[in-house]
Amino acid sequence: MKKVRILSLLSVTALVTTVLVSVPVAANAAPACDGKSPIQSCVGATSDGAPYAMQVPANFNGTVALYSHGYRYNVDIPSAIPLIGGYKVTNTPEPVPGGNADVAKYLFSQGVAILGSGFARQGWNPDSAIKTNVELIDTFKKQFPKTTKVIAWGSSLGGVITQGLAEKYPNLVSAVAPMCMADNVEPELTMAGDFLWGIKVLFDPTIKAGNYSAGAAGVAESYADLGKVFTVMGKLQGGISTGAWPDTSSATGKSLAAAGIPVRSALLLLGLMSGLPTQSAHFDSISGPEGALKLSFPLAVSPALAILENGTNAAALAILATQDVEMQAGGAIFDNTKTDYAARVESESVIFNAALSGNTVINAMLGALSAANPGAPRAVANPAAVAKMRALHTNTGKINVPTILMVGMADPITPAGASQRLVDLYAAQYAAQKAAALKEYQTTRSYKTPTSNLLMLWNRTPASYTKFADTGAPITSTPAAQGTNHCNFSSAQLVLVAKSLVQASSTGKLPSGGALLTAVRKAGNLSTDKGISAPLLKYYGNN
Amino acid sequence: MKAMNRRKLITVSAVLAAVSLAVTAVPAQAAEVGVSSTEIKLGMTLPMTGTASLGYNKIPGAAKAYFDYLNANGGINGRSVKLIVKDDRYVPTEAVAKTNELILKDKVMALLAPLGTANNKAVAASVNPARRGIPVLFVNTGFSGFADTKKYPTTYAVLPSYIMEAKIMGQYIKDNFAGKKIGLLYQDDDFGVDALAGFKTAGVNFAVKVAYASGSQGAAAAAGWITKFKAAEADVVILFGVSSATSAMLGVAAQLKYAPQWMLGSVGGDATTIKLTGVPAGVLYNAIGFSPVPATTDMKDEYIKLFSDIYAKAVPGSAFDLNVLLGMNTAFMTAQALKAAGQNPTRKSLMAAIDSKGATFANSALVPLGYSSSSHVGLTGYWVGKYSPTGDLAPIGGTYATYTTDSGAGAVVKSTYVRPAMPAKGLPN
Repeated sequence: MKKVRILSLLSVTALVTTVLVSVPVAANAAPACDGKSPIQSCVGATSDGAPYAMQVPANFNGTVALYSHGYRYNVDIPSAIPLIGGYKVTNTPEPVPGGNADVAKYLFSQGVAILGSGFARQGWNPDSAIKTNVELIDTFKKQFPKTTKVIAWGSSLGGVITQGLAEKYPNLVSAVAPMCMADNVEPELTMAGDFLWGIKVLFDPTIKAGNYSAGAAGVAESYADLGKVFTVMGKLQGGISTGAWPDTSSATGKSLAAAGIPVRSALLLLGLMSGLPTQSAHFDSISGPEGALKLSFPLAVSPALAILENGTNAAALAILATQDVEMQAGGAIFDNTKTDYAARVESESVIFNAALSGNTVINAMLGALSAANPGAPRAVANPAAVAKMRALHTNTGKINVPTILMVGMADPITPAGASQRLVDLYAAQYAAQKAAALKEYQTTRSYKTPTSNLLMLWNRTPASYTKFADTGAPITSTPAAQGTNHCNFSSAQLVLVAKSLVQASSTGKLPSGGALLTAVRKAGNLSTDKGISAPLLKYYGNN
Repeated sequence: MKAMNRRKLITVSAVLAAVSLAVTAVPAQAAEVGVSSTEIKLGMTLPMTGTASLGYNKIPGAAKAYFDYLNANGGINGRSVKLIVKDDRYVPTEAVAKTNELILKDKVMALLAPLGTANNKAVAASVNPARRGIPVLFVNTGFSGFADTKKYPTTYAVLPSYIMEAKIMGQYIKDNFAGKKIGLLYQDDDFGVDALAGFKTAGVNFAVKVAYASGSQGAAAAAGWITKFKAAEADVVILFGVSSATSAMLGVAAQLKYAPQWMLGSVGGDATTIKLTGVPAGVLYNAIGFSPVPATTDMKDEYIKLFSDIYAKAVPGSAFDLNVLLGMNTAFMTAQALKAAGQNPTRKSLMAAIDSKGATFANSALVPLGYSSSSHVGLTGYWVGKYSPTGDLAPIGGTYATYTTDSGAGAVVKSTYVRPAMPAKGLPN
């Protein structure tokens, strides 16, 4: 395992956030407050044991912002595992995104308090987390009776929790902002499962990729998978330039290699069929180094490197989330026995035809990955476990209160399509509201245009951003480009969301018009363009 | 009296309410994006630099030459037409980025002649002009799928589809090379899929088919192709690829003295572009070629005469070739569409104009256009010619033999199409 080389390529998402407040008190007790000014801090724990933190400015205006953090692994990661080794399970409260001081400062300046827990259970936890949040709101209101408005926001899985809170308890919140929101558990783990399965059947058949054993044995299997997947990714990184397939490749993989199929094309196909973005932190699939590779690099190589970067970032979550949800559901939950991967890439196989090395190669790879090939055995789920997984909290996508979505167009873990799904659903919801208003007009002769309750902020990737050294080698040590990586937002963008939430909670309306456009422009790199349409997750089967 | 007033008041209130509803529900028509009182902005993406740009990079200059001519003669109802060109280097992701710039920053009214099947598919998927109601006029690809009005409702084809071309080639082979061994070089993507579909419909049986992945074409690859064609003893070899593939093949064939009967598809058949790569003109001699528009050397043709005059003044010293002619022809059709779209053209009225009148637009092509309210099919056929000793494509026997067909199972028939006369001075009526 060439750890250094992998590390040089990756920009791993920080999962453990800045500690703002810690040391919770006993569960379900009244918050312990320090009584300080201008910011009073309180800590406590909910009845399920989730530690929480409250920070209330002296000029508290009655509005509190409840933040829900994203997915945190629910098992410790041994330090020997590259990239993420050394992680310890934590339920440190997180009352603002990543402990961002600019966001907290802005909210305090508006007289808005901040509130957030670390949740009692990590991993895929919307069911328990929504309950925790409901209790937390009640606790805050009791502690600070002046409270009149609650705004809720969250990132990644915290976006699912936030949306779920607004769907189930619309009367508790005035405005919400699910940011870089994950899709529901099944679409998310289908994306992860498709990619992992592909890595397994082509590059290392000893990867388990799900169906982990119960208990500690399953956790150990997931650790082993992490090591193997990262090792494969390291080998693929080298193979993209040399053409070599990993020496751990399966018989199916070796037969493709023997047929002269470039390993970069195989990796790209896995990314496309899973729905991973083809732009990543450092690879825009546009730029090429000066010289002979100016055109061929973006056409043939860069998309595969983007999948490598995005896939590696997503792989850890894919393995650990699958293991976690299997534990909750009681068995294997990923099933691709009926998946038509050829249909999945029908459009992309034209767009990335050069990088995929042409239709003959594409067909050979899809044939190798087809259900008809016993050398690429499909994953079979446990029906009872699938039923249990589906019984976990699922958002319907209904918008009940002013809602702001923000997502990177090339987020590799929670693809922009998860937010697009809500945009599409709300378009239908809004159209129905307009139709109802018109029908009402027929009898009342009074027409009131329904208020739009959704603001979509797309964090776009720059026009081009891959940098090259004088040698022509791509540079991967620079910060991830805007619009790429997971929940990669600037302070200015987060403050814009905070501002918009505060305004919406106060007026009942989302910002709009020239004022919104000006604010969006100042925040940088965002777009409210209604013409944008991100592809839905492949699970939905329409792309 | 009071009752009457009350009734009147009720009536007035109802009218006001209705007016209010109408105002609320249907906002006043704002000026169209990209259309000002003095200007209409159009945007084009295509490869202007890099290895894929050869030949294609003359298209914008040609279109601009016509638009400049149009503008100097009053424009479209007093508005000048401005063409903004972005270089996508033939990279799909870059085409997406550049198209976004055209739409969001430059705020063009419509996209004009974007080039390439993969690029247009990438733009359709990521930029989604259809969702935005943006016309994509006269795409520079013969992929038959872009005429699908359900999938691409705002996109208009102009080139005959690759399926049509393959069917007409197939008919020519049946008529002239029965019993001969036929070889085919094709691009291993949707371009090639269309070609294979057309040849299959035409009933052509190949002795050998050689596919190349887009981007893999070059001299080394061409040597391998020739080996396969030789091994199959192909009498006729069809080059149904891009210019760089045709050039690589003919260049290496000349070196190896491999000389079957060549048959060149229109995409890779522009003689000027081929010769620019160093292929001797003589190699092209007697090769069979296909084109929907007249020979670029045919100065008896009124369109060729006018367009070549305009181009010579606009871009002195630049050869008037197939890419130039197609670029100017597209600009000329666009001008007619804009004119037909009304005094204050909108995106909707522009598309409606093509739907209702597009089939009658004057243009240089010798085959009919297929536009209607249910069809975005462009040109529907080709004439067959041979390359001269100087490498120019010319009609066999000096007379254009034109054929027309569709992208389905329809027969290939000799065309009886009578081209509309050029409007006065080549300006839209």
